[in-house]
Amino acid sequence: MRDTFRALTLPAVLAVFIIFTGMLVVYFTNAVLAFHRFGLDVYLTNVWHASEDPEKEIYGIAAAIWGSVYTALIAVAVALPLSIAYSIFVVDYSPRWLKNPLIVISDIMAGLPTIIYGLWGALVLVPFLRDEIMKPLYEHLSFIPLFSYPPTTGYSYFSAGVLLAIMVTPFASAIIREAYTMVPFIYREAVYALGATRLEATRILLGYIRPAVVSGTILAFGRAIGETVAVSLVIGNTFNMTWALFAPGYTVSSLIANQFGNAFIYEYMTPVLYAAGLALFVIGLAVNLLGIRILRRWEENVP
Amino acid sequence: MSRNIRRVKERAFLCGVALLTALAVLPLFHIIMTVTVRGLPEVVSGGLRFLTGTLSEGGIGPAIAGTFLLTFLSALLGLPVAFLVGLYAYEFPNSAVGRWTKTLLQIMLEFPTILVGVFVMQVLVVPMGTYSAIAGTLSLAIILTPYVAVYTHEAMRQIPFTYRETSFSLGLTRTRVLFRVLAPMARRGILTGGLIGLAKVAGETAPLLFTAGGLYESYPHSVTAPVGSISLLIYQLVQSPSPADHRMAWGASLVLLLIFLDIFVPIRLSLREVKL
Repeated sequence: MRDTFRALTLPAVLAVFIIFTGMLVVYFTNAVLAFHRFGLDVYLTNVWHASEDPEKEIYGIAAAIWGSVYTALIAVAVALPLSIAYSIFVVDYSPRWLKNPLIVISDIMAGLPTIIYGLWGALVLVPFLRDEIMKPLYEHLSFIPLFSYPPTTGYSYFSAGVLLAIMVTPFASAIIREAYTMVPFIYREAVYALGATRLEATRILLGYIRPAVVSGTILAFGRAIGETVAVSLVIGNTFNMTWALFAPGYTVSSLIANQFGNAFIYEYMTPVLYAAGLALFVIGLAVNLLGIRILRRWEENVP
Repeated sequence: MSRNIRRVKERAFLCGVALLTALAVLPLFHIIMTVTVRGLPEVVSGGLRFLTGTLSEGGIGPAIAGTFLLTFLSALLGLPVAFLVGLYAYEFPNSAVGRWTKTLLQIMLEFPTILVGVFVMQVLVVPMGTYSAIAGTLSLAIILTPYVAVYTHEAMRQIPFTYRETSFSLGLTRTRVLFRVLAPMARRGILTGGLIGLAKVAGETAPLLFTAGGLYESYPHSVTAPVGSISLLIYQLVQSPSPADHRMAWGASLVLLLIFLDIFVPIRLSLREVKL
């Protein structure tokens, strides 16, 4: 009698578990063929040679994995200062009437359909970045390897990184802001009582929420690395393994989005794309587990 | 002297913080402005034909119908599951399964959505031999479930513990306590979670790429046949080189933006905090 509740809910829980393990199994079994044929080279080399003749097919997706990590790193590097500043401003210095609107705006940005970011990114942001930022940097500073690639179209790691930064800022902000609100008020009183300026006080208070900032960054990274449509519209979709910011590239998810539709024509392309998906799966899992763990441990220790 | 330097630094810091905050929220205004400025002429000049016509007539009617169909079906499939999972995670927070459930929900919340799409393609589209509305529905439901489950869990946790004690002390069974007493108390939070989840999946694109297929020349008529969606249509239109297609994409994204804001903003304004 008492177990009716379990009997009702457990099937649903089970379904979620089955779907998750099912995903892992599907990715693994479908990728096996690629591992048999190419071994670990599928992750370590950068080649994409499709051919009607299965003997001549060679694939290595190192460039796509690099692109995923690189764009997500750019995104986090841009988003972190923005989201920390946003959190500080909203919690401590914003006029009262502006506080709630700022939070609502950030939430809307976090939920906005990604395809709208993609459309805006491809048709508005990329031309702007190309003409106002990439071209001047290339003209004057192209001796620095980062800026050495001529930005002809604008579709590049840099554009993808900036667009991703805009998309993950509200997300990192939500975590950091929530943590910053939770700093006990006596800490603030104590710091100001010592005669600290607002800059000095903020620095000390930020130290208190450092684990939350770290986990916000990690979770934002995880979100950036998995984003698909917006990135695939601005990254240029070219196999390119370079530090050069203005070079077009590929990410794992944009590779899947672009190639999966016609991959069945070739013998080994589908398994290779599943192997790519598996890599993304594992990276996403590791990153998110790490971020969640740090956040949880911090939340448990907060009074 | 050093006192002055500290004051100057403080000023610079305050200005910097305000400036960066403005920079962080600026894109939303620019996006809304651009979508309106470029999309509105397209919608207005097309008029009713834009909203109801097929693609060759210059309209996105089937895509709008597809978005509503997919969102509705995924709610039908995902909401009950999510509700039950959320209740389970709330009721057994310290059991091994309960803890794993919570972690799993968190992970699935952050999971790359394209991977869900490819998975569903392998288990549904390949055996069926065709893209279909059910495949798209399953994809979206997998994405919807963790959102709503986490919300349900959070909403239930807000209920004071004494209500639990009181209900059990009346001799009610666990099922009755949860479904008849506690869940109705948390209905507002649960409902909010459901709606925010729906607003989210209504705009999803990546999970539909290899599952829904796309249908823009006639209205959806069967759940086992391919179906379109506004987001999917925009994705295809942006990739076309033709300026006419781009104009259409702006029009379609205005419609999508309005659908999203119409669901999201009222809910968001009616409560204090949301988690995305």
